Amino acid sequence: MNALERILDEFDAQAARATQCAPSAARRAAAQALRTQGLPTRRDENWHYANLRALEGVGQFGTVAQPAADAAAAVTLPPLPEPLHGYSRLLIVDGRLWAGSPWPSDPGIARMPFEESVAAEPAAPFAISGDGRLGLVARLFAPEPLALRLRGMVSLEIISVTSSSAAGCYTDLLLNIAAGAQVALVERRLTAPLPSGAAMATAAPAAAIDAHNLRLQLERGASLVHSRLQQTADHVAQQDTLAAIVGESASYRLHQVTAGGASARSSVQVQLAGRNAAFQLRALAAARGTQVADAQFTVLHEAPGTKSDQLFRGIASDRAHVSCSADVQVAATAPGAHVQQSLRGLIDGKGAEMNLRPRLTINTDEIQATHGATTGRLDENLLFYLLARGLDDAAARSLLKWAFLGEALGALDPPALRRVAGLAAAAQLSDAPALELLQ
Amino acid sequence: MSPPLLQIDDLRVSVAGAAVLHGVSLTVRAGEVHAIMGPNGSGKSTLAHVLAGRSGYTVTAGSVRFDGQDLLTMPPEERARAGLFLGFQYPVEIPGVNNAYLLKAALNARRRSRGEAEIDAFDFLNIVRNKMRVMQIDETLLSRGVNEGFSGGEKKRNEILQMLVLEPRLALLDETDSGLDIDALKLVGRGINTLRSPERAIVLVTHYQRLLDHVVPDQVHVLARGRIVRSGDRELALELESRGYDWLLDAAPAVA
Repeated sequence: MNALERILDEFDAQAARATQCAPSAARRAAAQALRTQGLPTRRDENWHYANLRALEGVGQFGTVAQPAADAAAAVTLPPLPEPLHGYSRLLIVDGRLWAGSPWPSDPGIARMPFEESVAAEPAAPFAISGDGRLGLVARLFAPEPLALRLRGMVSLEIISVTSSSAAGCYTDLLLNIAAGAQVALVERRLTAPLPSGAAMATAAPAAAIDAHNLRLQLERGASLVHSRLQQTADHVAQQDTLAAIVGESASYRLHQVTAGGASARSSVQVQLAGRNAAFQLRALAAARGTQVADAQFTVLHEAPGTKSDQLFRGIASDRAHVSCSADVQVAATAPGAHVQQSLRGLIDGKGAEMNLRPRLTINTDEIQATHGATTGRLDENLLFYLLARGLDDAAARSLLKWAFLGEALGALDPPALRRVAGLAAAAQLSDAPALELLQ
Repeated sequence: MSPPLLQIDDLRVSVAGAAVLHGVSLTVRAGEVHAIMGPNGSGKSTLAHVLAGRSGYTVTAGSVRFDGQDLLTMPPEERARAGLFLGFQYPVEIPGVNNAYLLKAALNARRRSRGEAEIDAFDFLNIVRNKMRVMQIDETLLSRGVNEGFSGGEKKRNEILQMLVLEPRLALLDETDSGLDIDALKLVGRGINTLRSPERAIVLVTHYQRLLDHVVPDQVHVLARGRIVRSGDRELALELESRGYDWLLDAAPAVA
């Protein structure tokens, strides 16, 4: 059976097991959409560089239904990060809110009925184009989908952990940012290390899947600074789907750091739906060994005066593959749009591969746009300059790689997270940068 | 007479199969300032880069000894740590690496190679601030990326600042005067003179003698068609200023 058949079979089996509770309308709709659209293939332009074989290697789809208390007793968690000062924390383990973690006391964070929230969502172009298909897989199996409404000034950290005993982690989140709200959101994805016995038992353990579906709605005048740090373990195939709708005069700033996983696919679509809506992306992907990191960023300018600014920096070391497609579409309804796009890739290994695809589709006469994409190896002129100052070769190379990533890392907030992200990215480089650079 | 700090004998260099230097010989002793002048394409920058160890140049014959060591067998970073400094004609911009970090890393690399302890942050800042005052460089430049967004003059002053902080035994300054206005030229001259001492030597590579108004050389050499065709004192530079290079080119036959 191929991955799609296994996914749908498992969904049907889960539905049959849950005699007390039929699958929700949202799940049934997701299953139907998957049946209709199928899983993406490399023939799909926006999936050409994704490691879709990783899905075929997933040992088991779906989750075993367990009462939360039993689940808590059975799992091993990795050490959790230090709390970020001033942030409320939600801890999600194997897709469920962790029973031992209290609900945030911040009155600006309210849990909403998931099904009603999904039903109220406008139809997403993502779903129509098929780019959000892997988000459907997360929707099928997420054991505890969650809808939140955030109001006022909110700082929220969502930590999602795949435990050592789980074959997969599926999360399905819907966040509504109320009009005028100012939200700082940090998302971190972690994996518990495999038990030592499991790692020894087989040379190539089946891959675990970490599938994440996130829908964001920013209402009028809302502001969201969203920092995502992906540090899943080497045996994990990560699939991450994010669709955001940005309303009038709302601003969305996304910092994304991908530094882990056997394969990592990010499908991000941002709809600038309201007049003067703005989106800024600072994304970094650092891959080593045989990792595959692939990102698809699509920005839809749909209203007048909208702005987008995308910056991607990727380093592929050893035999890793890093890809980034950045697609900006400016509709005829979006005169006065401003578009900036800068994609740069660094190849740091004989078998490494970097694929950058900038795309800009403009259907209006009134627009300001700049874009550029470059891929190459370390600049020999810069390297010689540092050597001529006495730095040794490894230190000079490491410094230049660090500087290369600096543009994407530098704006990451809060600073404590920036340091963590820096360490995570540094661990992916073939030459580790000096520790003092990571301060 | 002190032993040579830099001894170049019959150095022949080619780039991508084309011969550029056709047998350069030069002796520089500690305490001396030499100026190497010459028209465009004469091989001046090639000589400076070969001495600093840049890749892409093939030494086909000859030898270079620096402070008694075979310079040509040393990688560029070892040459720098041994006390050789190249001031670049076109200093590169390195966004993301701040000036202070590079200066400190370079200084510590040099100190470690001499078996000295790394400098602490307080002493480092004291040294750098003093040198910045000499070069009239704003302290805010320390926290900016190396040469990032600097004007041409600021880049050249930054090169001299690095030289002053690193205190090399031999400074090779490749057209440090190019693109400088009169005031910046004076500042750069002042910086170079600050480094002059009986223990150090300076080699200025330049087209024009105007820098030599501020840094008076002990010897002037004319490099033409890959060879040193004339050596003299400061008067030679003045003569070049008035007569140009053609009269010397006529005396330096092309090499097949």
